[in-house]
Amino acid sequence: MAEPVKDLNVDDLEKKQEWWWIAEKKRSKRLDYLRKAVWKKGAVGGNYAPGIKVDLELPTLFTQMYNWWKFDPPMLRRAKANAHVLDNITIFITDHAQLVGYMGSLPHTILWRVDGASIVNEELYNEPGIIPEPVEENLKKIADLNSFWAGQTAVDKVARLLDPEDAVKFLSGAIGWGAPTSAYGYSGKDYEFLFAKRNGFSDILAMIEERLENAEDRTIGTPGPDILPLYERIQNWEAMKVILEAAIRYANRYARLARTIAENYETDPVRKEELIRLAETCEHVPAHAPRNLQESFQYDHFVQMLARLEAHEGAWPARPDYYHWPYYNKDVNIDKRLTRGEALDLVGEFLIRAYEVGGFGPRWAREGLQGITGTWVWTLGGVKKDGSDACNDLTVALLQAARLVRVSNPTFGFRWHPKVSDAVMREVFECIRHGLGYPSIRNDPVLVKNAMHWHGHPLEEARTWVHQACMSPCPTTKSGVQPMRMASATANCAKMIEYALSNGYDHVVQMQMGPKTGDPAKFATFEELFTAWVAQMEWIMNTLVRTVNLGRYKDPEFYGRPFLSATYERSVESGLDAVSPVGERGNCWVTFFTWVENADSLAAVKKLVFDDKKYTMAELVSAMRKNWDGNEQMRLDFVNAPKWGNDDDYVDDIMIRCLREVARHSKEIKCPCGNNWPALPENVSGNIHYSSIVGSLPNGRRLGDALYDGGISPGPGLDKKGPTAVLKSCGKIDHVGDGRAFLLNQRLSPTQLAGEKGYQLWKAYIRTWADLGLDHVQFNMVSDETLRAAQKDPEKYQEVIVRVAGYSAHFVDISRKTQDNIIQRTIQGI
Amino acid sequence: MKCTECGFEAPVAKFRYLYNARIDASITLRQCPQCQAWLAVDELAGSAQQKVGPGEAPWGKSAGIEGLAKDAAS
Repeated sequence: MAEPVKDLNVDDLEKKQEWWWIAEKKRSKRLDYLRKAVWKKGAVGGNYAPGIKVDLELPTLFTQMYNWWKFDPPMLRRAKANAHVLDNITIFITDHAQLVGYMGSLPHTILWRVDGASIVNEELYNEPGIIPEPVEENLKKIADLNSFWAGQTAVDKVARLLDPEDAVKFLSGAIGWGAPTSAYGYSGKDYEFLFAKRNGFSDILAMIEERLENAEDRTIGTPGPDILPLYERIQNWEAMKVILEAAIRYANRYARLARTIAENYETDPVRKEELIRLAETCEHVPAHAPRNLQESFQYDHFVQMLARLEAHEGAWPARPDYYHWPYYNKDVNIDKRLTRGEALDLVGEFLIRAYEVGGFGPRWAREGLQGITGTWVWTLGGVKKDGSDACNDLTVALLQAARLVRVSNPTFGFRWHPKVSDAVMREVFECIRHGLGYPSIRNDPVLVKNAMHWHGHPLEEARTWVHQACMSPCPTTKSGVQPMRMASATANCAKMIEYALSNGYDHVVQMQMGPKTGDPAKFATFEELFTAWVAQMEWIMNTLVRTVNLGRYKDPEFYGRPFLSATYERSVESGLDAVSPVGERGNCWVTFFTWVENADSLAAVKKLVFDDKKYTMAELVSAMRKNWDGNEQMRLDFVNAPKWGNDDDYVDDIMIRCLREVARHSKEIKCPCGNNWPALPENVSGNIHYSSIVGSLPNGRRLGDALYDGGISPGPGLDKKGPTAVLKSCGKIDHVGDGRAFLLNQRLSPTQLAGEKGYQLWKAYIRTWADLGLDHVQFNMVSDETLRAAQKDPEKYQEVIVRVAGYSAHFVDISRKTQDNIIQRTIQGI
Repeated sequence: MKCTECGFEAPVAKFRYLYNARIDASITLRQCPQCQAWLAVDELAGSAQQKVGPGEAPWGKSAGIEGLAKDAAS
């Protein structure tokens, strides 16, 4: 491939499909500066980029005050410690920025929540390259912090309560990942309370004050059991007050800094004016409800930063085109206070500020989320509560800004429905054609129905849904919003079939993990194997869900979320921690990593052992134990057995049967709110992380090989019958009743989809996808040629983005194994 | 199997298995226990095809040795 030439004009670059150079040429000078000035926080492969340092101000300030208030109850103690951070942490304003707020004291720093887990703290101490200068002095500081927190982090406390056998099996890393605490959870935001009802922090403080006065009056009134819970709730309300007042002071610190720069240092009159406007913005929000687009974005960003200063949040549920639309409409269309170009600059910067966010994650998280620091999947499109189309000019502006700034975080999930206009669909397609890998396309009518089916959300509530993480819908309402989706309900599903073929023994971690379901060499029928598989599936789901349920139940005591609680309507009303299950409908799901391997493996065994009788179970088990070594022809036979994604009922029926067993069990297990735990197959880059943890499988995979790229996507290169066959296989799944959502990766040819004809082809494909009732699809539209060129010469292809799984990443930031896995995916001609 | 780099000979299984992302091809990546070279190995023939340098891919469609395994997928 010819070298990329950034000196070409836009037309020539479009012909060459080098969209990253086009973005540079088309974006404003401000956006260009801000995009290039931002530090990359995602781990490259599994390591932080040079120059990235862990921030020590926050853990030091937090620990000082946490220790000082040692006799306070959990939420109040944490509120005071976090308030101390907000009052004292170093703040900065990036040149040319119109939005402010970060969780670290400097732009190149990453957040470290020292109170989350001792095992993470120890890993941080030993992580090379991220300790700031002077290294020796700071290592001593980290060691002192780790000593203080040893035994009293959130995970340390939960681990002491877990059944010891569960704890050992969970911590083996073989069957799941994550930590059962909101210290590392994904918290939904009550956007209806903050934005739709237009409540600034001063409004919320007034509500809390009223509740407090009422409760205090009652506690000095007539004695009775009804007043007993109030003593604890009064302290929680106090905690919410402390943190909201601190948050307003924190914003005012930015206002003062902006004014100081403007009045004393800035010589450019235009920038001076911008800084004054920034100061006025931070003086107004979050204290009060926003009045314009800049304030609206700033308010949202403050809420997200403040929640991230309180916990290591792994996701970013948001619906910006819906909640910021009134302000965009007022500024751009009604008052004409902003030109569309100026608004686009603000929108682009809003994306960049989110891209800037990063926290320290342990190695498993960095390997499993290569290239990013969390799954910031923002939701666009969809319907309003009344069912009408919610798309607007801001939807379009967000899609256009994404193509200009080309960040890999946040990405978008687009809620498709039949009333979406052609103009909006074209903007969606342009993002995909530009190789961003996003938006993913979500089937809104199916997912609204799904939310009602699994969790009983009323229709209007279900229609507010946003992506809680990569995939799972969660409403943004008082009873629907979920405060803590803990990643530890994430199952490494390939272990289900592996354990069914090993009597529950794990030959990789070398211990008995699952139940003893019988010597597989003696299975005489497929039904015996399937029964063993069901038992292993139930055991894995049970073990993970037990762990998360306990973590969720104890979280208000072991961790506590004063800021999050202060932004939840139900917590402000009740005085309970946001993580308390009281007042929440419940919206849990079990993420199913490495799922399709089960159907492909079961089908291969059924075909070759029980139907064709070409091999015996004893021969298969023996080959598995040897990682297929010396059995290459046999391995290829198992690879060539029927595979998912080819519209072949032989294997597709097995997939459906497996899913129906899971769906049955999903209704037997319950969350702390009493609601169901449906499955959600998707992978992030767990297929690479687990490649050295999952043993050999009857689909022909060896220990060490990448697993499939996830969800219900066929194995890379195994979908040989074309895109319609893939859709037909996936369409056999009931996308409402069989699980919470189902990720589907597809690669399309950028050459075929060029021009108007390409758009029409893609639109017809989406129509078929929708008609078949699938709930998700996402696309990579970057050629093998470009990806190979990027492998050979990464410096020249820094901005090439690919869809990994539920997220996008810059191609050069993911490991070689992951790169290869993406290249091997079939490019479908449509 | 004989290492194409140092000539070390041993059964295939003695060469450390690394990975094969292309499940339907019998080209894998293994490491010579003597010289540590990464080798592209034809598992059916039990022979090393070539050395794979750092940063190069062992099979199929990836950069480095694009032609070693037939690209059946696209």
